[in-house]
Amino acid sequence: MSFLLPCPNCGKRSVYEFRFGGEVKPTPAADASVSEWQNYRFNRVNASGIQTEWWFHRSGCRQWLQAVRNTISNEVLESFLPGEN
Amino acid sequence: MKFRFHDKSVEAQPGDTIAAALFRSGQRIFSRSFKYHRPRGLLCVSGKCPNCLMNVDGVPNVRTCITPARQGMEVKAQNAYPSLETDFLSITQHFDWLMPVGWYYKTLTLPAMWHAAEPAIRKVAGLGEILPSAPTEYEHAWMHTDTAVVGGGLAGMQAALGAAERGEEVILIDDQATLGGHLRYHKRSGPVPDDIIAWLQAAKNIRLLQNSYCFGLYEGSLLGVLQRDPHTAAAERLVHLRASHIVVATGAYETPILFPNNDLVGVMLSTGVLRLLHLYGVPAGKRAVVVGESAAAEEVSGELRGGGIEVVAAVEPHAVIRATGAGKVDGILTRTGPFPCDLIVICGPRVPDTGLIAQAGGKIEWSDVQGAFLPTVLPPEVSAVGEAAGESVANTTVPLPASKRAFVCLCSDVSSTDLCQGIAEGFDEIETLKRYTTATMGPCQGRMCQLSAIGVCARETGRSLGQTGMTTSRPPNPGVTMGALAGPKHHPVRRTPMHYAHSNLGAVWMDMGDWQRPRYYANRSTASDAEPVLIEYQAVREAAGLIDVSTLGKLDVRGADSGKLLDKVYTHRFSDLRPGRVRYALMCDEGGIILDDGTISRLSEDRYFVTTTSGNLDFVHQWLEWCLSGTGWDVHITNVTAGYGATNLAGPNSRDILRKLTDCDLDSSVFPYMACREAEVKGIPAILLRIGFVGETGWEIHCPAESAEELWQALLDTGQEFGIRPFGVEAQRLLRLEKRHVIVGVDTDALTNPYEADMGWAVKLDKDDFVGKRLLTHAHAARDESREHLVGFVLEAPSVPDDGAAIVVDGQPAGRVTSSRYSPARTAGIGLAWVKTARAQEGASIDVRVGGRLVKAKVTMTPFYDPEGRRLRQ
Repeated sequence: MSFLLPCPNCGKRSVYEFRFGGEVKPTPAADASVSEWQNYRFNRVNASGIQTEWWFHRSGCRQWLQAVRNTISNEVLESFLPGEN
Repeated sequence: MKFRFHDKSVEAQPGDTIAAALFRSGQRIFSRSFKYHRPRGLLCVSGKCPNCLMNVDGVPNVRTCITPARQGMEVKAQNAYPSLETDFLSITQHFDWLMPVGWYYKTLTLPAMWHAAEPAIRKVAGLGEILPSAPTEYEHAWMHTDTAVVGGGLAGMQAALGAAERGEEVILIDDQATLGGHLRYHKRSGPVPDDIIAWLQAAKNIRLLQNSYCFGLYEGSLLGVLQRDPHTAAAERLVHLRASHIVVATGAYETPILFPNNDLVGVMLSTGVLRLLHLYGVPAGKRAVVVGESAAAEEVSGELRGGGIEVVAAVEPHAVIRATGAGKVDGILTRTGPFPCDLIVICGPRVPDTGLIAQAGGKIEWSDVQGAFLPTVLPPEVSAVGEAAGESVANTTVPLPASKRAFVCLCSDVSSTDLCQGIAEGFDEIETLKRYTTATMGPCQGRMCQLSAIGVCARETGRSLGQTGMTTSRPPNPGVTMGALAGPKHHPVRRTPMHYAHSNLGAVWMDMGDWQRPRYYANRSTASDAEPVLIEYQAVREAAGLIDVSTLGKLDVRGADSGKLLDKVYTHRFSDLRPGRVRYALMCDEGGIILDDGTISRLSEDRYFVTTTSGNLDFVHQWLEWCLSGTGWDVHITNVTAGYGATNLAGPNSRDILRKLTDCDLDSSVFPYMACREAEVKGIPAILLRIGFVGETGWEIHCPAESAEELWQALLDTGQEFGIRPFGVEAQRLLRLEKRHVIVGVDTDALTNPYEADMGWAVKLDKDDFVGKRLLTHAHAARDESREHLVGFVLEAPSVPDDGAAIVVDGQPAGRVTSSRYSPARTAGIGLAWVKTARAQEGASIDVRVGGRLVKAKVTMTPFYDPEGRRLRQ
């Protein structure tokens, strides 16, 4: 894996500058069932294709960002700061 | 210039490679083959074949034909015993019928057979010897450019100049020491135009990486480049090169043709012979037979004669019957008669070097017209020029049918017979044939054998070359030394501001993550570890101790919504914490699993000072940022770990010591346990936290890192009359264990929730939503008897178990010890352990495994020392 990830603050950077933070998924409601929370905590969609992910720019601006990536080709379609898409 | 080759000294001319100098000195055998130990001599003289691999200055598998000779080098042959000239294992070639293709799979069918055979196979198999420590230095570098041109031949140089004229930044990579590619030795195409090289060198936006080869093209247009001898302090530099555009100008290379004995020493490719002749002035033989199509053979013959080599005959490839000779060529048998000679010059098919293009995702297809596999579809960021793109490639020589043993793969001694056998056994696709026979999988990665292997496969299966197709090209090719991939021997170490003060006090160091911390301070009069730890322990319990806790993670959290964030992330409540107060902080994930702990002090209305465990700082910081992201809350988190030094002053005399250095009122009535103040200590601005990890009256003192050593020294000097001693991590571990304080990650693991860790008091389920609340609520309600609980235990016999020792109940394993020490306060072995929930009761009886026997112990749910915490509050 050696693709470039565009950081909204810093521009295109080597993916090794980032820490992967998992899939972006909605947090269950506070009173949602235990199984919903367990599903949220322990299960992944693990999409083969396009998914939105959390990335932390560890060796850069040290900000969390979200990127839309094709997990097959590692092509990053877009990236943005949380809440700005 | 001289270097050593085994026990002889070899003279080298300026510009010589190791192989050229050896050849000039009369050496003809350069290696022994992988399987049959047949003698092998120079073939390609361009670093493409496996025949000249040797050990140079301790580094195995060096391609000596492209490695410049240097004064004092130590060069040794590989894979030959006792010597290159006489190799006992060459006897194996007469027993090849015993080792057919797929021998391993067919013979070693039972595990017992493999285990019996393995030691012998390990001894004779493999190539080269690895020294346990790298004899040279390696380094990594990162480069970025608009255009990278791979290949310094004419096409590559022109492409580089063209890009430079368009104003692009260009890096030109060439695996030779001199630019020019085949123009340097190929008289008809050459010479290299002088002006081009001068332009290249003068251009400000062109960077030349010579003596460097590109071993792979990876995702994101990342080129792996290995630069040899980048400077005197490093043998090799691995360059991670990013380019927006990549021009592949890798040219084409000549490959052997198949006939029996085509691997004898003295059978050489025409380009290899011309390189030796024109680059190093060494004739490869006296009497040569040239094998090739008439036009090519005639041209090569002319050049050979010009170089003083007698050309006995020129033979068409299909007329060759076999080469003759025992180890070395002494003649060739052809349909036009036998010719005695000492050199057979092969004008083989030229194969465009398209590996990088294939790795980039380009399409490579067979062209009947040009007799080669050529790139037909290129990814947008890659282009090909020159012979790599098929320019002026016109092969008429197709790999010959081979009835007898002709070597296809020189790397692992795979013959045409082996390939036919493999196909007959059903491995009739080129990819499966490759895996079954290992053809194309050796050090040359198929450069010498791929076309022949495809040819044999096509003929045997009745398919065309195009239908047969190519094997997948994968990096690294050529091979890269493990040292270069590993990079420099670089072990970063973090030191606290008081590091050298500890050194002067005789600290015995331990590594904690990147940090170095004093384990204890050696008492120079005793040799034992235990005694200094005990002395340090006693000082803390009876007088005063001082420990460097600068490694604690420290975060400065500011802003109007800081309390809101901390309420969300930690299990306790912090928005209602009064300024000047400290609270224990426990952090869980959404599953209710403990992530980290520390303390949070509220310094003012909108400023909190958060500490984390030493190893978890980055994680906690990122976790806080993640929980904050997208909320729009007014919070700023700054990592001040390196900015602050910290000490913990603890013990009954600590107040008396600190009082001498600060005006801050330290009396418990105004500065009670779990309070914090900002005050000056010896004139140094500091944050004082009244907390007690070790269980005594004490203060954690955080101050600017640049003053931390001064403060440390002041506390020690002032404490002298009060019996102060510095103490290390080992004493701290014992002191905290007596207080039953948990260390996250030591006493807890990735399945631990606060209730099971006996820290339910730190979880406030009645506060608004926080991370982990839902599943913590569930865990709190469902007390699961099948799970485990963290308890303390006191051993009833004088002994101490190892960390991790088993807990046994009724002869069954029932848990494990996480921490254990001998407690001076209890005069017994104590510890923390996970036991089944049913056993987590005061006074329950368990057995602990200590050194192979079981020792009785009693469970306790309260601290081992000062259970009411009176001493902390004094």
